[in-house]
Amino acid sequence: MKKLLRALAISQMLVAAPALAEDIKIGAAFPMSGANAEYGEIFSSGVNLAVDHVNADKRLNGKLEVVYEDSQALPTQGVIAANKLINVEKSPYILSAFTGVSKAIAPLGQRNQVVMINGGGVGPDLAQLGPYFWNVIPLVNLEVATMVPFLVKDKGLKRVALVYVDDPLGQSAREVLDKELKAAGGELVKSFSIPATAQQFSGVAAQIRDAKPDAVYIASYGNQQVQLAKQLRDNGVTQPLASYSAFSIPSLLKLPEAQGSYFTSQQVNLDSSDPRTQRMVSDYRAKYGKDPSMYAINYYNAVLLLADLAEALQKEGKPVTGANLLEKRKNTPTFDFVGAKVSFEDDGTVKAPVQINQIADGTTKLVKSGQ
Amino acid sequence: MLYLQLLINGIQTGAMYALIAAGFSLIFGMTRVFHAAHGATFTLAGFVFYECYSLLQWGLLPALLAAAIASGLFGVLLNRWVYVVIQRHEGSFFTVFAASFGAAIVVENLVAIVFGKGLVTVSSDWSRSVEMIPGLFVAPMALVAVVVAVVCFAVLHYVFTHTNLGVALRALGENPTLVDVYGLNQKTLAKYAFLIGSVLVVPAAVLTAMTSGISASMGHHIMMISIAATIVGGVGSLRGAAMAGLLFGLAENLCLAFVQPQWSEAVTFVILFLFIVFRPGGFYGRAIVS
Repeated sequence: MKKLLRALAISQMLVAAPALAEDIKIGAAFPMSGANAEYGEIFSSGVNLAVDHVNADKRLNGKLEVVYEDSQALPTQGVIAANKLINVEKSPYILSAFTGVSKAIAPLGQRNQVVMINGGGVGPDLAQLGPYFWNVIPLVNLEVATMVPFLVKDKGLKRVALVYVDDPLGQSAREVLDKELKAAGGELVKSFSIPATAQQFSGVAAQIRDAKPDAVYIASYGNQQVQLAKQLRDNGVTQPLASYSAFSIPSLLKLPEAQGSYFTSQQVNLDSSDPRTQRMVSDYRAKYGKDPSMYAINYYNAVLLLADLAEALQKEGKPVTGANLLEKRKNTPTFDFVGAKVSFEDDGTVKAPVQINQIADGTTKLVKSGQ
Repeated sequence: MLYLQLLINGIQTGAMYALIAAGFSLIFGMTRVFHAAHGATFTLAGFVFYECYSLLQWGLLPALLAAAIASGLFGVLLNRWVYVVIQRHEGSFFTVFAASFGAAIVVENLVAIVFGKGLVTVSSDWSRSVEMIPGLFVAPMALVAVVVAVVCFAVLHYVFTHTNLGVALRALGENPTLVDVYGLNQKTLAKYAFLIGSVLVVPAAVLTAMTSGISASMGHHIMMISIAATIVGGVGSLRGAAMAGLLFGLAENLCLAFVQPQWSEAVTFVILFLFIVFRPGGFYGRAIVS
């Protein structure tokens, strides 16, 4: 029996990869199932590539590892995921997504001194969730503030109707759109709030036709925005559709009814000559057979940001904790991101120019560069 | 004009809901198996149709046939290799429910692996509305949905009232012991119930793929509609499920004239709640005495 136990112990030592004290486990609370799972796939593609790059470069003393938990893009599931990542996995750095989920898990980050970093949610409130919550994506107030002048002044589309999902993101978008339209000389003619689970929109389309707007702004995400675009077009809404960065998912870009729609996104120059951008874009194309989306780039940047900070901390002999990461970030004036050199605002949000895109031929074309 | 538009939209949505709910109502009513994987059957049928019609371009009829075979096989095999096995070992109602729920999750994940996690749509000119009179838009698909629903329910009515199989199935739902006494095999009848109920989702799945799109995760929504319509219509009543589906579709759309769209789903549950409180047997259900 003793021999057997000894043999088992030895085989365990041989088989299991030794876990070093310096190994860093980062967490990711992404939607991996449900109606928004398509985003989870895109987010994790950027994360996985970044982890590969960090480990290949041996930038850290130990190995960088990512642990995924399924948030289903729901606040309740997000809190369960974040609690597990903090208390079981002991992650000092958690990747977050979606406004509702991010707002729900941010207090856990504050309480446990764990950095939460968002590269997908765009609710303006995400800039006010405390020092441990960072954003590597411009928030929807910037996106709406870019889209409204384009619609009103460049395109002469002054009367805008809004369809928004009834959650923190949608409610924020409604407030900002109303304010920006008034400031630009336009008008929010009617707004329609829809539940996140709604799938039938022929009735909403009838009401939009009744309101006779010049354009329709959609503030939803995932499968629902695809259904909205299809059903509005199928039910006689011919006005231009406009939205924010959530419109950049493949299922919407391929949708025939969405062709011609405008949407904003942070400016990313994939042809930039800096080595980090070149490596990310070429390796992403090689690994996934397509160009990286803005979301994949954001989460790649989020992981590389951790690597930059952790590498610096390890050189100083300091442990990689949330508190030390925060202090290091505050003391570092700029960071090299894919496509740009960026700095963080005091509220923990990266400011980046926002551009106007149009969906055409199943892909996007740049209509107006960001400023 | 808005009311007329909402009324027409409501009839189209109601026809779809009726078709969605009918299969679940039939299976639950006849076999008393809470077939939580009915939503998965819908997803499977929709994606098989999408694969055969849009990607492989087999044409409408072969694609419909492939979807019907896939959904029918799924229902029958799930019953044979999961439900019957559990029931043989005296598994409770909830054990079967848990197994069915698990099967639904497996199918959802398999569909996501094969077809991706995003929404797919089947493009068709028939889903595009045309302006019939100023301000009134109707898609040819609305007419198709209503005609298909009427034809399906007419055929089912005929089968359940004029054929030996239909009468036997009704008997299975009413009094399974008596079915044994008459020398009929409960398991064989249950197999037919699963076959008919599963194939019945095909028209709804195809219409949904063409009008609003399908995704791997939509099974839960389908189950919600099915359960609500079965309760409101009365357990075991196909006519009731059809009426309930139509009622939900009309209520969801007509309420938009008075309240924000965010409350349209709540209207469905208010109806469900009112039925549970004031008419627990549903439209045509039998009174259940405990």
